[in-house]
Amino acid sequence: MRYLPKTNAGGRDLDAERPHISGFAKNGQRSPCDVLILRDMKLDTRSLEDLIASAAQSDHKCFATLYDRTNRHLFGVAVRILGQQQAAEDVLQEAYVSIWKNAGVYRSEIDGQTIQAMTWLIAIVRNKALDALRSRGRRKESELPDWADGDDTGDNAPSAAQSLAPSAMHLLEQATQSMHIEGCMGTLEGSYRQSLALAYYQGLSHSEVAAQMGAPLGSVKAWIRRGLAKLKGCLDTRGVMA
Amino acid sequence: MRYTNADLLEHLASSYVLGTLSSGARRRFARLTADRFDVRTRVAHWEQRLGQLAQSVPQQSPASQVWTAISARTLPESAQPVAGAAAVGGSGLVRWFKPAGWGLGGVAAGALASTLLFIAVPTLFISSDQIAMRSGERLPQSYVGVLSDAQGNGKLLVSSLRQGKVMTIKVIGPIAVPASGRLVLWALPANAPAMALGTVPTTGTSVSTLPDTSEKLLSKVSKLVVTLETDAAPSQPSTTVVFSGNCAKLW
Repeated sequence: MRYLPKTNAGGRDLDAERPHISGFAKNGQRSPCDVLILRDMKLDTRSLEDLIASAAQSDHKCFATLYDRTNRHLFGVAVRILGQQQAAEDVLQEAYVSIWKNAGVYRSEIDGQTIQAMTWLIAIVRNKALDALRSRGRRKESELPDWADGDDTGDNAPSAAQSLAPSAMHLLEQATQSMHIEGCMGTLEGSYRQSLALAYYQGLSHSEVAAQMGAPLGSVKAWIRRGLAKLKGCLDTRGVMA
Repeated sequence: MRYTNADLLEHLASSYVLGTLSSGARRRFARLTADRFDVRTRVAHWEQRLGQLAQSVPQQSPASQVWTAISARTLPESAQPVAGAAAVGGSGLVRWFKPAGWGLGGVAAGALASTLLFIAVPTLFISSDQIAMRSGERLPQSYVGVLSDAQGNGKLLVSSLRQGKVMTIKVIGPIAVPASGRLVLWALPANAPAMALGTVPTTGTSVSTLPDTSEKLLSKVSKLVVTLETDAAPSQPSTTVVFSGNCAKLW
C-alpha cells in the first residue's frame, strides 16, 4: 500500500482535485494542456505522443491529462495480470511514476517501425506487473488465477469481478478479431493459442502455463514459441509490423 | 553467455515481452536491454506487436487515491511545499556528517582524497574533451544537421554521435503527411553517390541504426536532403526535394 495522506504538507486537499487540474507546468509557464482544463475534455485532440513529449518537458498538466486518458486501460491490464485490485493499484502508481521519469525516452519510431504511445505505456505497466508477480515467488497451482472457469470455493476463490471476467482465450479471440488476423491465427491449434493467451493475459510463466493446462513443460514452450512466430507472421501479412 | 546469436536474441526478446522468462532470466535480459540498442530495438518491436493484444482487456477505474499518490511523487520541486523540504534537508545534512565521527572517518577521508585528486588532476580519470563536455563548455562530438523547407522553416534535426551507430531524427516543425510515398533522408557526399539514411517521421522523434559509425559514413558529407520517394528501395534521390540542410561536425 503506497498511498500518501490525502492532504499534503502544504495543506492542499489533493483528493478534491481531478487529475487534469492538479498539474504544474515547468517554471510556472503556461502549459499547452491548460486549454484542455478550460474547455470540455472531449475537445482534447492532442495525441498521446504529444502528451508524452510535453511530460518529458516536465509539463505536469499534460502528464495529468495523459493519466486521465489512459489510466483505465492500463489499470485493466494490471488487474488482469495480478488478479488483485490493491496490487494492481500499487503497480499502476509505480508505472506512472516511471512514465513521468522516462517520458523523454519514448521514441515514436525505431528502425523504421512505428511504436505507438499506448503500446509503450502498456509495456511499462506489464513489465511492472510481471516483476511484481515474479517477486511473489513461485505460485502453487492452486494459487494460479483462473479467471473464467474457476469453481474454487475456498480462500482462493475468485472475486465476483474475476468470475465475470472473460477468459484469456476469449480476450485473445477478441483482440485478433479487431486486428483482423483472426483467420490467420485460427490456423493455429487450440492448445497453441491457449498457452499464448494464458501467458499474455494472466502473466503465467512457462511452468505455470504447463501446470494450468496439465501439459508437459517442453510442449508448452514449443507451443508458445510457435504461437509468437505465427502472430508475427500474421501481423507481417497484414502489414501491421514488417 | 554471449548474446551474439540473432535467433537467440529474438527468442529472448519475445519471451521477455510476453512475460514467460523466469525471474532470474528476466533480470539478466533487462540488464542486457539497458546496455544494447539492438536488443532494445527487438524488445520495442515485440512490445508493439504484443501490445495490440491488450486492447481487448476490459478497462477498470483505479481508486482516486492512486492519482493523489502519483501526483505527490511527480510534482516538480517548485510546486512542492518548502517548509517540509527544508526540514528534511537539514536533518539529512546532519545525518550525512555523523558517520565520520563514528568510525567511518577513514572512508570519508578516502573519498575526500579521491575527490581532491580528481579535481587536481582530472585527466587521470577522463579525457579533456569529456571534462569540457561535462562542465557544460562543449557538446559531445557529433554529426548534426538542421533541415528546412524552401521557405527556410526548420523542419528536422538530425544527430548522431561521431563514433556512434545510432541516428536520431527529431521533427522540429510541422510536416504534412505525404498523400503517397514516404519521406527519405539522404546524405550527399562530395565525391560519391547519395546514400539513403532512412525514413523520416512526420511527428515526434525516430531513432535508427546506421550500418557503420557516423564517422565512417558522414565524414565526407556536407549536405543532407529529404526527398519524396514512391519506390520502396530507391537507389538515388528523386528530384522532389522537400527539405535540405548542411551536415556539420560538432567538434
